[in-house]
Amino acid sequence: MAPHSPGTDQIDTLLWIGFVAAAILMIAITGALLYVARRYRSERGAEPRQLLSGRGLQFRVAGVLTIFAALLFVLGVVFTDNAREAPSTGDAGLASLKSEPLKIKATGQQWLWRYDYPNGAFSYYKLVVPSDTAIELELLSTDVVHTWNVEELARKADAVPGKTNKVLFSVSADDAGTYDGDSATLSGQAYASMRTEVEVVSPQEYEDFVETQQEEIEAAQERVVGLIEEGKTP
Amino acid sequence: MSPSQRPELVADGYAPRRPRWVQLATSADHKDVGQILICGALGFLFIALVELVLMRIQLLVPENTFLSPVGFNRMLSLYGASAIFLFALPLAIGLFYYVAPLQVGARGTALPRLGQVGLALWIAGAVAQYATFVFTPTEAGVNPLAPLSEVAFLSSNGVDAWATSTGLATLGFVLLAVNLVATLRVMRAPGMAWRRLPVFAWAAAVCSWLLVVIGPIFLAALTMLMIDRNYDGIFFADGSGGAPLLWQHLSWIFYTGFYMLILIFAFGAIAEIAATFARKPLFNRTVVMAALAAIAVLGTLAWMQNMLTAPIGIGWMYFAMLVSLALIVPFGLVIFNLIATMAGGTLRMRAPLLFAFGALFAIGIGLAAELCHSLVAAAWQLHNTTDSTAATHFALIGGSVFGGFAALHFWFPKMTGRTMGESLARISFWTILAGLLLGFVPLFFAGAGEGQVVDAYKYFDNTGVTAYNVISSIGVFILFVGILLTILNAIFSRTNGPEAGHDPWGGDTLEWFTLSPPEPHNFDVLPDVRSPRPLRDIREAIGHRTRRSQEAAARESQPVA
Repeated sequence: MAPHSPGTDQIDTLLWIGFVAAAILMIAITGALLYVARRYRSERGAEPRQLLSGRGLQFRVAGVLTIFAALLFVLGVVFTDNAREAPSTGDAGLASLKSEPLKIKATGQQWLWRYDYPNGAFSYYKLVVPSDTAIELELLSTDVVHTWNVEELARKADAVPGKTNKVLFSVSADDAGTYDGDSATLSGQAYASMRTEVEVVSPQEYEDFVETQQEEIEAAQERVVGLIEEGKTP
Repeated sequence: MSPSQRPELVADGYAPRRPRWVQLATSADHKDVGQILICGALGFLFIALVELVLMRIQLLVPENTFLSPVGFNRMLSLYGASAIFLFALPLAIGLFYYVAPLQVGARGTALPRLGQVGLALWIAGAVAQYATFVFTPTEAGVNPLAPLSEVAFLSSNGVDAWATSTGLATLGFVLLAVNLVATLRVMRAPGMAWRRLPVFAWAAAVCSWLLVVIGPIFLAALTMLMIDRNYDGIFFADGSGGAPLLWQHLSWIFYTGFYMLILIFAFGAIAEIAATFARKPLFNRTVVMAALAAIAVLGTLAWMQNMLTAPIGIGWMYFAMLVSLALIVPFGLVIFNLIATMAGGTLRMRAPLLFAFGALFAIGIGLAAELCHSLVAAAWQLHNTTDSTAATHFALIGGSVFGGFAALHFWFPKMTGRTMGESLARISFWTILAGLLLGFVPLFFAGAGEGQVVDAYKYFDNTGVTAYNVISSIGVFILFVGILLTILNAIFSRTNGPEAGHDPWGGDTLEWFTLSPPEPHNFDVLPDVRSPRPLRDIREAIGHRTRRSQEAAARESQPVA
């Protein structure tokens, strides 16, 4: 999956570091096993030399492994810190915000994602966000553990009932478009279908979207209230 | 003393021999208990694989309807419970329980009845698990994360049955482990110091201690879950002050410890096999022993590596990364020393060694892939993708199937007096290897490349994972056939295999000193243990004596000048 945000760029780099490190280990182990199996195979060989230990060799191997692990740890911390860095809203971003990120609530419930925008509008399934803007997604759950997962834009994070988990990300205008996402923790029967979508649009389009959404929701609510007052619905 | 007063052997009071099955059912002998665990484990391996194949058939094509969503979740939950509690753990503990007392020259175990109760509890757990088919199996997943496992979300008795079953089995394992700890502590043969302990017996001690620590933690979590479900508890229920994350911490401590236990078991068995078949001592055995203990401690401390997407502090995440990456050192040293043991030897490539090679290969791939899941930000992408399924299966199939089968082929002659069929073992090995590679390598790509999520009963056509899943399903079927061949080989060889004698491989440790199968009291006599390789010492002494007498004979036959 190609990364489309500064945070996922960092994640992607660390992933590749991990893949390379893993590949080195896999090749070293497999190579050594194949070599030993071919080179020292003999059904009726003479009694081999009874080598008990090799201190020097052991220290060198331990040293190399320690350096390898320490290096990975340092790289892991550096890139994780970079990936956690709070993005800032650019000049082309949503103007109504000052230094604050745009706060959107994402609520997982069996088996839907609901998004609540700052003006009171909400949407199901599809999240619309403005480009060039720092977005802070507040993950909540009303029932079981869900994992919000839109790999190309942000990190995976769990929505745990009773806890809030935050995901920060921003997407540049060049990367505007629609991204698929899903849930990554077993949450019951319809878990596989609990998908989501993030649409990155220009700040103006975002404003229009939340306004229309809010108006439509209000209109619908008024209609229901009207019907109740007329006694047409229970 | 007159001749009539001489004591005589009276056979009058001996009870008549009972039928074999009555003897097995009532025996507290560690060999009988161990064998029942091993046989049970192989049976449940077959059942677990059937469940895995059913899931893979469902995932053969996108949006398949072979299994219903609920049916899939039930298969998944049963597969996890069967593979962990009814196959991998009993196989490892059964082999430890059979072999370790023999290896240290014990004539029995310290607390045999405790072990017998442990076996009975495990059987009760297995029955409870599969009795769920009579009503409703659980559908909460391999590790049922609260609050999905709470009665508000899954109200059928399935989760209760799961908790009862895994709880009984875990309690059984803890009792067996207590007996092993006591036996290895107090019943070692004269001269068998800790530093001379065979590595497999050392692995048994480490794993038993590990179980004594992690078992009760898991039992506590299960008890809390049962209180939540049945007596209005709120341990894991949010909203009333409960903490869903508490379940994750407690259960992951157990599951991570289990993962380490299987690897320590496999390394212990491979160490014996590598040294025996290379005709060399284990390279740097004290380092290997220390590293196995370090794996148990560090590995269990790395439990939060499974929770890197959960709302826990970043400091805890770095701690998890630190201990997980620190594991590279002990794992690396063990693998290096095992390979160094074989290097320079004269390797007889028999079935146990072949499976040991397979185990090291698969564990190596699995652990290296697991490394990416330890780097915090990388885990934010890889967590709960099929990449983690593949890494876990490589490490655990490497440990419990390849490692377990290596141990099974190695000690089968000791248990039955017969060796397992060699050519069938070879066919089985290559089939399992092909199945493992085809079955799980594609999942690395589907998970890391395309982000396919775990545990889902279906996937969609436009996500680019169809080809990977087709190959994986075919591979898992091949894996199933390969494993079935070894199970059939074991059943057939038990009565029809070639006679093995007491020491078919030229082993160095005490279990090869006694008969195959051993008498109930294990040993008539025991040699003095003066090194980690007592049988080799005996062979050398005999060799010296023979040479000396030959030299003496040669001297005497020479003409006097």
